[in-house]
Amino acid sequence: MKKKKRKDAGWYALFTVPLLFVFATIVLIPFFIGVGYSFFSWDGLPLNPKVFVGFKNYVRLFSDSRFMTSAGHTVIFTVFSVLLINVIGLAFALIVTTKLKVRNAARAMLFMPYLIGGLILGYIWKFILGDGLSYVAEALGSSSKLLSNWLLDPTMSMVALIIVSTWQMAGYIMIIYITGIMAIPDDVLEAASVDGAGFWQTLLKIKFPLLMPSFTICLFMTLSNCFKIFDVNLSLTGGGPNNATEMFAMNIYNEIFSQSNYGYGQAKAIVFLLVIAAITLVQVSVTKKREVEM
Amino acid sequence: MKAKKVMSLALATAMIAGMTASATVNCYADEEDSVDKIIVFQSKVEIIDQLEELAETYEDETGVEVEVWGTTGDDYLQQLKTKLANGQGPTVYSLLPGAESETMKNYEADLSDLSFVDKIADGMADVIDDKTVGIPYTMEGFGMVYNKDLINADEVTDYDSFVKMLEDQKANGINGFGLSQESYFLIGHILNTPFALQENPTEFIEKLNAGEVKMADTPEFQEFAKFYAAIRDNSYNPLETNYDKECGDFATGKTAAIHQGNWCYSMFADYDVDFDMGLAPLPICGNDKIAVSVPAAWYVNSQASEAEQKAGKDFLEWLYTSESGQDYLMNEFGFLPVVDGMENESLDPISQQVADYAAEGKTISWPMNDWPAGIVDVYLVPVAQEFFTSDMSCEDFLAALDDAWAQANEAK
Repeated sequence: MKKKKRKDAGWYALFTVPLLFVFATIVLIPFFIGVGYSFFSWDGLPLNPKVFVGFKNYVRLFSDSRFMTSAGHTVIFTVFSVLLINVIGLAFALIVTTKLKVRNAARAMLFMPYLIGGLILGYIWKFILGDGLSYVAEALGSSSKLLSNWLLDPTMSMVALIIVSTWQMAGYIMIIYITGIMAIPDDVLEAASVDGAGFWQTLLKIKFPLLMPSFTICLFMTLSNCFKIFDVNLSLTGGGPNNATEMFAMNIYNEIFSQSNYGYGQAKAIVFLLVIAAITLVQVSVTKKREVEM
Repeated sequence: MKAKKVMSLALATAMIAGMTASATVNCYADEEDSVDKIIVFQSKVEIIDQLEELAETYEDETGVEVEVWGTTGDDYLQQLKTKLANGQGPTVYSLLPGAESETMKNYEADLSDLSFVDKIADGMADVIDDKTVGIPYTMEGFGMVYNKDLINADEVTDYDSFVKMLEDQKANGINGFGLSQESYFLIGHILNTPFALQENPTEFIEKLNAGEVKMADTPEFQEFAKFYAAIRDNSYNPLETNYDKECGDFATGKTAAIHQGNWCYSMFADYDVDFDMGLAPLPICGNDKIAVSVPAAWYVNSQASEAEQKAGKDFLEWLYTSESGQDYLMNEFGFLPVVDGMENESLDPISQQVADYAAEGKTISWPMNDWPAGIVDVYLVPVAQEFFTSDMSCEDFLAALDDAWAQANEAK
């Protein structure tokens, strides 16, 4: 008996140790080193002086108006994007799981934007919303605000960011919802329709409760992805105009790589991590509670 | 039982970690005698192809291999810093002399013993703590690059004539003066002018950093803001135009003048330019000088082994004193001579004017190289963006610039 247990442990180690090693070297160790750096004032070059400043970096962060503004932008962006991505992704999933003839083609096409990298996608949309719109406006002879360059207007740039990231993520989220919907047994749905439930009743009373595990995953993924958004932000708006679309991640990037404030930037990154961790943990625990067993 | 499991796991992890650690022996270790290979990493993308050819010539002549690392230009400094920090830096690299080379001074070898150091033109070599550490590439100058068919530069000498020029061009359906959305072409270069016009630009920057002076109270800056507003009111929105389009519009005669320097001449090669162009000063407060300085300098990595440093110095010595090295600098790279005894007879018209202005001593400096690191991209560009997307007044604009400056310094 004991021997068998030891053998099990060996197998267990064989599969987990390599992963654990990778996880430790690229996540855990840098994380702890990073926490250490956040107490120093340092420009990132080993030969240059590291000055220990204790919690000063963390204290300063709360009076950094630019950091706080970027936090505000991130919250606005995340709220709207998470809602839009999930609503649209779910709607797509419901449509392509019906008996629609073109459902396979539709699935492929809706998923496609996710396969284009965020950076490229940002540049494509930058062209559409900038030059593209102004050509259209010229052709139509219109001077409407909707047909001028969106990226020059603070509010419209934010709208553009939300639309573009929705366009990118919705197809991916759709795939997760599709698997959820496919997993609902036909007999339950049939029973519901025999009992006279209409479309909305089936959707709200049968499908949604059974989709709860999918909601947990999708909300978690969209929440954390939207909070961390960087690539689309960089290529589409670059944080402009006048910082109106500078998000958390970009603020940290600028602090560290443009201004060489490694210590302070690292402190921001740690706070950023804590905020995301707290929010996503709350979300997961709330949605987990609502999951039902069949 | 559980504890044991965890222990064995931890042990295994530690063992693997130990194995990999001992496997990565420091391949940077010194080989004292001589080296047969040096690595060059530099930021000027325009000369990369020619530099590769130069590397082959150098190997043919001296037997030392030169490996040239490529870059896209944008993240050059990041890559360089990362590599230097890891002890895997190049032997010879380039930096912007000024604030940038100052922060990296621990990585810069003393080059004072190179034979041609005395012959470098005044103020062009990068000297830190009495040691010459940077060898200048070339001179570059910027100002108003203009179309001689459309503008008579002799008539654009102050604010009023500048505005008149803009309005005349606008009446003919031509953009008078173009900027573009890239940070330095949008605000970095043009804001350099009021700084350079200060009696002592370095001292002015120090005072500005200390908050003792304000741009809003300084006459050159007030006039600069008026120029900026005139451009906003009479020309296209630079935020909608990138460098390529700015140059293209100029080459096709849609824009009469652009705020650029001699580097942009190569952009016109793709167009059949059918007019003569010239370089004129941006007449802020009657300024009649061109901003000329060194865009980059060569440095040798002081963290490399003695032998490698020596090989790096030999390379620079060869580049600036041998016949083939000089030929590359002047004819292949198209550089302006910065060392006595070199001459370039095949300059393009704009570079020729930079050389002429320099010869006459009608130049102003580039104090922008001493601005706080990263300020242009992170703090000044947003202000310029706000200015070009609203009806911000000149006073508000200067106040916003002052605020941006204060914020950038607070971050230090």
